Amino acid sequence: MPALSVSSLSKTYRTGLLRRSTVQALDDVSLTVEEGAIFGLLGPNGAGKTTLVKILLGLVHPTSGTAHLFGRPAGDPAARQRIGFVPENHRFPGFFTAMQTLHAYGRLADVPRAERMDRILALLERLDLEGRGDSKVKTFSKGMLQRLGLAQALLSDPDLLFLDEPTGGVDPVGRRAIRDIVLELREEGKTIFLNSHLLSEVEKVCTQIAILREGSLVRQGSVEELTAVERVYDLVATPVPDALLDDPDTALQPAPDGAPPNPDLAQYRVHADDRTTLNAVLDRLRGADVEIESITPLRQSLEDYFIDVVDPPS
Amino acid sequence: MRPLLGLVLITFRELWARKIVLGLFIISSLVLLAVTFALNLDVVEGSLAGIRLFGQEATPEDLAEGDTPPLTLNRVVIAVESVVAGAAYWIGILLALFASASLFPDLQSAGRVELLLSKPVSRTKALFGHVLGVWSAIAVLTLYLMGGVWIIMSLKTGVWNPRFLLSLLIVVGMFAVMYAAVMLMGVWTESTALGLIVSYGLIFVSMVLAAANQISPTLGPVGRPVFWGLYHMLPNFTEVTQIVSTLAEGNAVSSWYPFFSSLLFGGAAYAVTGYWFARRDF
Repeated sequence: MPALSVSSLSKTYRTGLLRRSTVQALDDVSLTVEEGAIFGLLGPNGAGKTTLVKILLGLVHPTSGTAHLFGRPAGDPAARQRIGFVPENHRFPGFFTAMQTLHAYGRLADVPRAERMDRILALLERLDLEGRGDSKVKTFSKGMLQRLGLAQALLSDPDLLFLDEPTGGVDPVGRRAIRDIVLELREEGKTIFLNSHLLSEVEKVCTQIAILREGSLVRQGSVEELTAVERVYDLVATPVPDALLDDPDTALQPAPDGAPPNPDLAQYRVHADDRTTLNAVLDRLRGADVEIESITPLRQSLEDYFIDVVDPPS
Repeated sequence: MRPLLGLVLITFRELWARKIVLGLFIISSLVLLAVTFALNLDVVEGSLAGIRLFGQEATPEDLAEGDTPPLTLNRVVIAVESVVAGAAYWIGILLALFASASLFPDLQSAGRVELLLSKPVSRTKALFGHVLGVWSAIAVLTLYLMGGVWIIMSLKTGVWNPRFLLSLLIVVGMFAVMYAAVMLMGVWTESTALGLIVSYGLIFVSMVLAAANQISPTLGPVGRPVFWGLYHMLPNFTEVTQIVSTLAEGNAVSSWYPFFSSLLFGGAAYAVTGYWFARRDF
């Protein structure tokens, strides 16, 4: 059973005094996230990312289509029993201490008191908030608030965690700490749904991504699949004779920005239309006594890929 | 049950964190202290022999005016309890509305509502928990003031006026009715100011409606049924004052209609609020 599934989901907001204006936030979106995945939802502002997350959490009602969490309809409160959520710019009552906040939201998540006590202490320590349990929330920095938000989401030991811009406004050290926690959670087998603008963060932690543009799902797959440049490979090998480099059949060029791992090696880029061509190139290299250290498909950064998808060059 | 209790506690704490509620608590404490220490009654064989208020001494005969009979213990108790009930009803409810008006719009604000509704709590339960939290916070404050005055006066004089406790329920009940208007505006517009304007406006309108018998004959054939329609539909806040004072005086209430029709308005407003809250996108 997938952790979450969305089928033909659409959402149209009605606005204006007479509610006659409409905004299509989501248009026939279907996707599935398997248990244990770290799923990144990407898209420019207004693409419909937040609407999708809110429908999954029962905060927004879909116009059509279905959304399920662990097989239950997304609007069903029981479906939220196994999830945790860290909203972007969440606000806790400022008069509570961190400990009181976690108790309050733990009660809302139906965590029994004895269990709550143990988990709160463990989470405060894990999120580097030990010693701040009795401090008022209003005295917390942005990074501390984000970590406290993460703590309230983890209190019920959820199987699926939604993180909406979890590192927004957090300094690099805090970002690193949050990223490490996400990676730890992945090791624990949690499913994580990450909604973020920080593509470098997404690239570092996500196993699967989807890109929304103007309410439609335009790409979905693993980071490796999506960022791989079709039929172009990076080759690290001993220096290739000039004759082979000049030969158009080898489709071999020095890598434009390649830095070989050691001075005895050089880096090249291979353009091969198919597997046969690629193997023929490799055979010719071996025939010329070139020793191959590695050959890997060329990848572009997620950021470059994202820009190509959401704002393709005309 | 645990999530509901959690929400009640959050709302309760949030309301008590407001300075105005703290102020009401302090004022209530001062009233209780005044009734305890500043009002001294000399009771001889079950009758009032003298009163000392903030050190000023008077006999019952001194306080009798014209043809009115001399002051009795019973009348002193009724006077004190009536003043407290009247103040709790008018000043208390107005200030309590002011203190609580922003709670519901706050609850629905971005960053708060997501934290709440992402928990395994239905929207109906979330709304119910919020309402219960506000009611219980106001009930505790009212019980502290009115219950405190009742116990102190009863212990001091031996005159127990149980109907006064009913007026306590009326005060909390009418707060609940007026808070329904605040919530209705809150779910519709998320505006604290509008909620206050409408609830205070309803109180103002109730002053006009309280004079229904005098005003109605002056109206035309269209105006009269409209006026009576409003009388039956809107909360009769001003008329309920009469019920509160009758109870504080220890008398039986001749007509509960203004209170029950107000409760009906409150029930309808809460029902509409619940319907909209369940259908809203956040």
